[in-house]
Parts: sequence; C-alpha cells; structure tokens
Amino acid sequence: MSIRRGLFVFLAWLVLLVAPVVQAETPDAALTTLLTEARAAAAVPGACSQSGLDRLVRLYCTGKIRIGVREYYPLFGTREGRERLGYDVDVGRAMAERLGLTPEFTRVNAASRIPLLADDKIDLTIATMGHNAQRDSQVRFIRPHYYQSETTIVGPKSLDIKDWPDVSNRTICVTIGNGSNAQIVSHNARLMLFDEAGVLPDRLRDEVCTLAAQDDSFFAYYFTDPAFTARFDQKFGFAQVPWGVAVAQSGTDRLAKALDLISQIFHRDGEFLKIAKENHVGTGFLERQRIVWNRPDCNTASGNTDPACVLPALTAVLEPTPFAGRVAAFEAWMEQHTGIALQLPMFKTMPAWQLFKAGIINSLILVVGALAATLIFALALGAVQSSRSFVLRWPARLLIVVLQSSPVVLTLVISAAVAHALFPYSSAVAIGAAIVALGLMNGSNAGQAIAEALHSLRTERGGPPAPTTELYGRAVSRSATQIVSFLINAAKGTPIASFIGAPELLSALTDITSFASGRASTYSLLLVFYIAVVIVVVWLCGKLQIWLERRQVTA
Amino acid sequence: MSRVSPDFLPQLLAGMVVNFEIAAIALLVGLAVGGLLTWAKLVGGVVGAIAVTLIGLMRAAPTFVVMFFLLNIIPSDATLFGVNVAPSGVMTVALSLVPYAAAYVADNGSEALKQLRDGSPLGALLFLPNVTRAYFVLVMSSSAGAAIGVSEGIAVILREAERMPTLGDKMVLFAIGIVCFGITLQAGFALMRLLQHRLGRLALRSRQG
Repeated sequence: MSIRRGLFVFLAWLVLLVAPVVQAETPDAALTTLLTEARAAAAVPGACSQSGLDRLVRLYCTGKIRIGVREYYPLFGTREGRERLGYDVDVGRAMAERLGLTPEFTRVNAASRIPLLADDKIDLTIATMGHNAQRDSQVRFIRPHYYQSETTIVGPKSLDIKDWPDVSNRTICVTIGNGSNAQIVSHNARLMLFDEAGVLPDRLRDEVCTLAAQDDSFFAYYFTDPAFTARFDQKFGFAQVPWGVAVAQSGTDRLAKALDLISQIFHRDGEFLKIAKENHVGTGFLERQRIVWNRPDCNTASGNTDPACVLPALTAVLEPTPFAGRVAAFEAWMEQHTGIALQLPMFKTMPAWQLFKAGIINSLILVVGALAATLIFALALGAVQSSRSFVLRWPARLLIVVLQSSPVVLTLVISAAVAHALFPYSSAVAIGAAIVALGLMNGSNAGQAIAEALHSLRTERGGPPAPTTELYGRAVSRSATQIVSFLINAAKGTPIASFIGAPELLSALTDITSFASGRASTYSLLLVFYIAVVIVVVWLCGKLQIWLERRQVTA
Repeated sequence: MSRVSPDFLPQLLAGMVVNFEIAAIALLVGLAVGGLLTWAKLVGGVVGAIAVTLIGLMRAAPTFVVMFFLLNIIPSDATLFGVNVAPSGVMTVALSLVPYAAAYVADNGSEALKQLRDGSPLGALLFLPNVTRAYFVLVMSSSAGAAIGVSEGIAVILREAERMPTLGDKMVLFAIGIVCFGITLQAGFALMRLLQHRLGRLALRSRQG
C-alpha cells in the first residue's frame, strides 16, 4: 500500500468516524437540516391541504409566522401608529428572518398570550412571559430563555441600601400578586400594596413611597428618563425569572426544536445582546448567557436540553396545607349555596398558614401586653402625679402633656426608634415597643384620672393629707370608668402596631394578600377578629369596673 | 436641625391641613349616621335593638383595621350608577373614622336628649363641647393615614425622618411634630373649655331671668 493510498484510507476512516458526531453537535447544521426537511415537506404537492400538519411545515405553506407581542410594555413591546418597537418585537423579527418567514404581529397581553396560542390564533408568543413550572403545563417554552428579569428595589440615591438587612423594618411599595412579595416579607420589610405597577414611579416621585419593588424590565423604561435617574437608583435585585418564547403544546415539535436551536445560536453569536443594546434594555443576563452558549459542551444540537446549560423554570407553587383540599371544598360549597365567593388563602398554603397563626398569637400577646402596660403605667403615673414632691410631680405632668399631644402613629414611631437604637431589630422588639407606646399613651390618661380622683378625695376629707395606700386604692376605684375606657382604647389600638413592623394579624394578612388572592374575605375576617377581641376586652373590663366600684362602696 | 430641608415646615403645615380635612369629613358623616342611630334608638323595639347593636359594633371596631378593610374591600374601579365611587386615600381614612364618630355622637346625642327631657338644657348643651373634643381626637387619629400613603402631617414628618442619619436628629424632628400637633390640640381644648364656660353663664342667666 502506497503512502498516498494509506493516507486516503485513514482520512476516509476519520471522516466516517467523526462526520455523524460533527453533524449532531452543531446547532447550525441541525437547524439547517430541520428547516430543509420542513421546506421539502411543504413543497410536496397537496401536503399543505392535509389536516394535522406539523406547525413548522404549515408555516412554510403560508410563508408567514404569527407572533404575539405586547403593545404597552415600554422598551419590550410598544406600538407607535403602524410601527412596532421593542426588544420582544425585534427578537420576533430576527427569529422569523432566520426561519425565512414573514412575521405578522398580533397584540397580546398578560391574560391573552397563552389562550391565543392554545386557540391557534398565533404561532408563537414573545411577550415578557416568565417561565414558571405552572405554565409548563399550558405552553411549550423555548430553551434557552431569551431574557431574564428580576425584582429590583428602587429608591432615592441618598439612601444607602445594599442588601436585605438594610430593608428590614422599612416599608416597600409593591403590587398585589407579585410573586416576589413573599420573599420581601421574609426579610422583615413591611409592604404598602398597590393595584397597578404604573403608579409606583409616581409614588416614588411624590415621596409616598421611599422604596418600591418591581420587575427591572418595568423600571428600565423609567431609568431612560434623566430626571428619574438623577433622583433614584436600583438598590439590589432578587427573584430572577427567566423569560421564554412559547409555542402551543400540540403539533409544534419541529417548530419548537427549530426555535430552540435559533435561540441557542442567537445567544452564542450575540444576536440577542445586539438587539438588547439597540433597545436599551439590561444586558447582564445576555452577556452571561453568551459565555454559556459558547462553551463546547453547550454549543451542540442537544445543548438546549442539557440541564448544565439551560436554566430551570421558576418553581412558583407554594406548598399546600394538609387541609387545603377541604378548605377549597368549603369555598366551593359556600359559593354554590350562598353565592358568596369566599376565599380563604390563609388556610391553603403553608407560608400563609404559618403567617396567619403567628399573626393571631402576636395579636393576642399585644392585646394582653397593652392592657397590662396601660394598667401599670396608669397606677405608676397616677401615684407620681399625686406625689407631694414637686420634682416627681412636674416631670410626670410634662410627660402626660407630651403624650397627649402626640398622635398615636408618631408615639409608636418614637418608641420603635428608641427600641431599635437599643436593640437589634426583631419581631419581639417591635411588639415590645408597641406595648410600651400603647401603655404609655393610654396609661398616662388613666393615670391623670386617678390623680384627679385622689385630689377630689383629699378635698372631700377637708385638706391635703399625705396620700396613703388606702386613699390611693379608693382613688383607683373612683376612676374605674376612666381606667376601663382607656384599657378598651389600648386594646382597640393594637392593630396600629403593624405600622412599626409588629407582626400581628393585620400585618400577617397584608403579607398574605400580597401574594395570594381573596383580599375581601381576608380583611372581613380581620375585622371580625378584632371586633370580637375588643368585645371580649369590653366584657372583661366591665367585670373589672364592677369589682372596683364595689370596692369603693365597701370602703 | 440644619439637616431639615427648608420646605419641611410648609409641607408639615399643609399635611396638618389634611388631618383637619379628614377629621371634618369624618365628623360630618359621623353626625349624620350618629344622629340617625340616636333616632333609631329612641324609636325602640326591633329598630332600637338594631341601632344599639350597631352602635356597640361601631364602638368596638378598631379604626386602623376599618381603614384597611375599606381600602381592600372597595375595588379601585368601583362605580355606582356609572359614577366612580372608589374613595381616595383621604376619604378612606375619613370613612374609617366614621364608626368611632358615629358611635360617639349616638352616645352623646342620647345623653343630651335625656338631659333635655329631665329639664336640664345646660346638660344637653354639653353635647357641643363633647363634639369639639371628638373633632380633636379625630384630628389626632387621622395620622393613621400615613400607613396607606396619605400625605398628612405625620407622613411628612416620617418622610423627613427617613433622611435623618442619627436618632438625635430624628428626635428633634419628632419634637417639632409633637409641638405642632400639641399646640393644635391644646388650642382645641381651650376652645372647648371656653365653650363650656359660655354655656354655663348662659344657663345661669336664663335661670336668673
């Protein structure tokens, strides 16, 4: 065998060995093969009129692809007259061009983007849709994901906030139903709820909100405004959600595979990155993805199914309670028999159930604590105010005037500020600060009533004798009505403790409704709970009043 | 103090006007509802029993919870006969104070009518200073609006306090707030005492006459 012939045999063997592998490993080659086959299938006479046609073949029959995009999502999908603009729109154009089809855009929104796919009104949707495990059962997501958003916290530049510890005990404005709310709550931040994301930038501007949390893709538009950028910045991001192009679940195997490969190639070649830059949207995720899809192990035809290369879907399903089924059955029974659409989210998922239980326990601790503190401060301030010593009496009077002049919210905030200066923030500290504030506010008034009663008793006895324990006891009995009235007031005031971050029931239910439905039922239940608590307190205080008045009569 | 922004005081005063506005709305609605409940109580029977129950429930309802209840139960696009009836933040706070105001008016209204029947017009006239007292209690309670983003006096103070780096600076700011609200409250109580004094003199004159 000559050297030349031997070399030829070796090369032929090498080609036979490597060629199939190379063909399988290149996404470009796999895409070319797939598209060629589909075009060929569409070119067969009579093929386009057959029923149950593969979607990709059907697209080549019509030469068009119907793409669902948003029209009111700045930077991603907007419409000015007949012109469509945005990152999603340009991604749609680029994908259609790669497929060799003419794009036809259809308007979709958050509610219609999945039903329109299922009804075969559109072929694919590119509409800011987060890929979560729940949606996997409704549509087929194209992998790799074409974008990723995250929830970002935005606030004034002057505020030094870098991570979760910096937001504890602060109020953050959010929209109801945002999946990331549960995460914010778990870091001891308080929520102020809004129905629409559109109001958040305005509430930041008019300073109703100090901090706001929303998708970074939403805020991206506002950060193109120099006036907004001059005042605010993004503090930090969390709860990343990959966005997916989606197609219908049935009859789309080849189309989905083609789009998977295109998406992979677009990442590898920086096509997504280029489109993102042109549309002024964030590029951090796309830059990281470009590195991933240039890796030899990912840059293969099967890379888009390799868990080491693609991102997983977000698991947004909350763990249900053991009795969630029975609660759902009760809700259905209620609606069927009474027509009332009762919703009890606090009993259906474990995070909500735990918040609810803790809320009730903390509320009861607050009520008992506020009643005890009111009584203790009343007796102490009543005694000090009745003292014959000027040094004791006047500071007490000054304290009472200050407490009477301060609105309840301000007193609570002052108490919380002092407590947080002394101790690191915790739920117990917030509850303690609220108990002290409520006790001082109501106890000072009740204490004043005791002091006035003591003064009247002294006058009746014809002069100012030294206050004795017996006389003081009679003064307490005489001021029973006032004491009881301020005890009831203290119990009624406990829900306001949520303002300083005490995790009582109002606070817990606000957190639950921020990530679950059923606001009307939830807040109705809250009102019933607190009215019942106050009625019990009124009844107990009535017993106390009778006992104190009987004591006065006996004396 | 140098850290306090120059427009803080004007903003605080503007915020306090909102507190007065909320209290005025709550009192006006409270007078109407409370008056109706007083009348129903006097009618007696089933109507009276319903009125007494309602007054009891209103007395027991915590204002802060009522505020969140109203905020969440009324849809933001609620309409009545085609007119948008969703309350604004200010209106929500005012409405949350109505149960307290109405129960207070009903209690004091009944007492005033009782005094009138017993031949004590002076006792009945005590209704006026009592309503004045309720008004100032409502002004102080309207600070709860800060929790739902209403730009009233306390919300202005808290907003400014967010910018203060030290507890000492915050305390100075809080003290300004207490002084501003305190002056208002004490002026209100002085007005109430003056009213009581005038009524006393009036009653004395009518007795002598």
